[in-house]
Amino acid sequence: MKIKVCGLKHPENIEAVAALQPDYVGFIFYDKTPRYAAGLSADALQAIPASIRKTGVFVNESAENIDKLIAEYGFNAIQLHGDESPAFCAAFKGRVTVIKAFGLNEDFDFEQLKDYANNVDLFLFDTKTKIYGGSGKTFDWTILDQYKLDVPFFLSGGIGPENIAEVKNITHPQFYGVDLNSRFEIEPGLKNIEKLKDAFNIVKNKIQQMKYGVNEQGYYGDFGGAYIPEMLYPNVEELRQQYLNILNDEGFKAEFDDLLKNYVGRPSPLYHAKRYSEKYGANIFFKREDLNHTGSHKINNAIGQILLAKRLGKKRIIAETGAGQHGVATATVCALMGIECVVYMGEIDMARQAPNVSRMKMLGAKVIPATSGSKTLKDATNEALRDWIGNPVDTHYIIGSVVGPYPYPDMVARFQSIISAETKKQLVEYTGSELPQYVLACVGGGSNAMGMFYHFLDDESVKLVAVEAAGKGVNSGESAATTALGNEGVLHGSRTILMQTEDGQVVEPYSISAGLDYPGIGPQHAHLFKSHRGEYVSITDDEALQAGLLCCQLEGIIPAIETAHALAQLEKMKFEANDNVVICISGRGDKDLDTYIKYFNY
Amino acid sequence: MNRLNKLFASKNNNLLSIYFTAGYPALNTTVDIAEALEKSGADFLEIGFPYSDPVADGPTIQHSSEVALENGMSLKVLFEELTELRSRVSIPILLMGYFNPIAQYGIERFCKKAAEVGVDGIIVPDLPIYEYENMYSSYFIDNGLSNIFLVTPQTSEERIRKIDELSNSFIYLLSSSTITGYNLKLSDSVEDYYKRITAMKLKNPTVIGFGITDSSSFAKACNYANGAIIGSRFVKLLGEDGYMDKIDGFIKGIRP
Repeated sequence: MKIKVCGLKHPENIEAVAALQPDYVGFIFYDKTPRYAAGLSADALQAIPASIRKTGVFVNESAENIDKLIAEYGFNAIQLHGDESPAFCAAFKGRVTVIKAFGLNEDFDFEQLKDYANNVDLFLFDTKTKIYGGSGKTFDWTILDQYKLDVPFFLSGGIGPENIAEVKNITHPQFYGVDLNSRFEIEPGLKNIEKLKDAFNIVKNKIQQMKYGVNEQGYYGDFGGAYIPEMLYPNVEELRQQYLNILNDEGFKAEFDDLLKNYVGRPSPLYHAKRYSEKYGANIFFKREDLNHTGSHKINNAIGQILLAKRLGKKRIIAETGAGQHGVATATVCALMGIECVVYMGEIDMARQAPNVSRMKMLGAKVIPATSGSKTLKDATNEALRDWIGNPVDTHYIIGSVVGPYPYPDMVARFQSIISAETKKQLVEYTGSELPQYVLACVGGGSNAMGMFYHFLDDESVKLVAVEAAGKGVNSGESAATTALGNEGVLHGSRTILMQTEDGQVVEPYSISAGLDYPGIGPQHAHLFKSHRGEYVSITDDEALQAGLLCCQLEGIIPAIETAHALAQLEKMKFEANDNVVICISGRGDKDLDTYIKYFNY
Repeated sequence: MNRLNKLFASKNNNLLSIYFTAGYPALNTTVDIAEALEKSGADFLEIGFPYSDPVADGPTIQHSSEVALENGMSLKVLFEELTELRSRVSIPILLMGYFNPIAQYGIERFCKKAAEVGVDGIIVPDLPIYEYENMYSSYFIDNGLSNIFLVTPQTSEERIRKIDELSNSFIYLLSSSTITGYNLKLSDSVEDYYKRITAMKLKNPTVIGFGITDSSSFAKACNYANGAIIGSRFVKLLGEDGYMDKIDGFIKGIRP
């Protein structure tokens, strides 16, 4: 599908639009529109790449003037919006691409187009109005079914952010592209680049190109992809084709935002931890994901995916869980939506996180122990994948972290990115700047960290610190410090960094915290690690538990042991007095009370 | 033309293939088992190399993989065992396993070594078409190895055509979307799927696997494809006492 952006008149804006690489850009030479481009210097069009067709738009202009303007601005297309005759069009055909525009309504007589068919290159169908030019309103697109000629057409009129995705459902064989104008503006003639960018992504099925983001094959640098058996291909491919359309759909966004606000309790506070700040000699801020409904950041992703599963028409949900936080979040959203829920959990994790097992059951989920391998998170993930292989049509697998085959790492990161989006806004209120010096988060698979990093990835002044679990020590043989101990390979469908033997067998990791007890990291983390965009460090069980207790006693917050790993890292860092440091409090420690109590003998 | 191509050129129906996991139930049994299977009439074999996280496998093959790993099986050990393969076994041999052990061994090195010991083809269930075609296919082709792709009832026609184009020995049809080790129920939809494949007139022969357990499911599968593969049921047999003496009876029982 081609994209034409019309109604440009400001040089800098023209440059920004051209950078998005539309197929056509349009300049209106009609003095009754606020988008009138007269006075625009021809130089402003010089920088437009040759791959973009520069279009002059005219209404009942004389052939002589059109010729003059073609010469002056170097137009290689013209769009005629008035009552120009077929012969008038014919005079230009062959020299430039000729687009003849018509306003359509239910009474439109398609017969009149026949005389134009041989004399134009393209039609443009707009909404019929009393005045010439755009109306900003859509017409009933089913009228297009009456159009039977073989000249391709642009669709115009009222295409905006909220209905751009619907355009993709138009299957007319001559549908050539969309014409975007007034609904993507800050003011008449000044285009909103962000809105256009989103629309381009939807139309071209492209993923927003961030330096540290995913490419179209699902890779982050050397990592990612979808290394899955053929049995999973249709499931994953369905997701790949649908997820961006669904996530960009205005109805979806509205429902997601509403549930995050009114059900989860977002935005979660950004709390200025004064006693921590005093202790560490910097401004320490806690992003309080522990205050979310169900007690951790996991609910953000679970809400997003259950809404997506509903739109995909799925009737059954499966999930894996380590600490049980993602299992609880998934069981919660399934209860909310009345959808069957099956959670796979390692047998060992079920024993050490018993309260969460009971919570899932109370919420109506079926919890199935994973009894193979190390009987922890990785094996629960294997079991969930096996279930999905056997139930390819009606089941959606809600992966809980930024792991798995593409598009999961990107999809989960997007759902969790709310964490950093809010943080930026909240930080401005405290510090006047949305950028801190440091952002810290713990990493198992890495979903809270990716959510916490996401909107800071391209702000390279912000240091990203990811804290892994060293268990009993990186070199103790009982550790989950993936970047320290692992190397490149494939785990759970993506190329990433994982802990493995020389022979490529996955090593059973260890951490006191079930949520970090995973032998890999998400592929985007692997990329941030390898590219040195992020600093990956590790914290032992002992250090984490001490940090957890300190947080209780200094700030009155009992953090999850996962989170305590991130807090412990503060001990090892040197700050300047004015440094602003954000740390993601990913979850609350209620589920870990037994472990804390045993360790400290309370 | 490797042994696989020659086999399919000379015989195009009722081909019986057997899968077993190397290192199960014990080390140094791989070539013995392969030899016994050839003597009993199996047409070609898939030798599995174990992986710690076999997501496409059911409990039987998972268990065999765990035992094999405990026994010390690895690609290095397997290739050592296979050095005497071609002095004792002449039917086509495929290696089957997950991508990560191959990636650690080195893909190019793996392909060279496989060709050197006389392997004819490779089945890597979690190596996607995109990665195979764009990154690794030359290693397979240069070493005369066939790469075998899987097709399920959910695989689209367009994708099957692509697989047919990239294949040069046979295509592995899964009886249903399932992990290994479940019984085949020949429902109407499965029959429709086989008929759909037949009607596509692919250039490569097809072999059906997953859920083939006995003479009746074998015969049914052979109505729609050039042959069928038995895996979990045979691996189960290897878990029994005196399994070497039972192999002949097993094969004759499948294809009397």
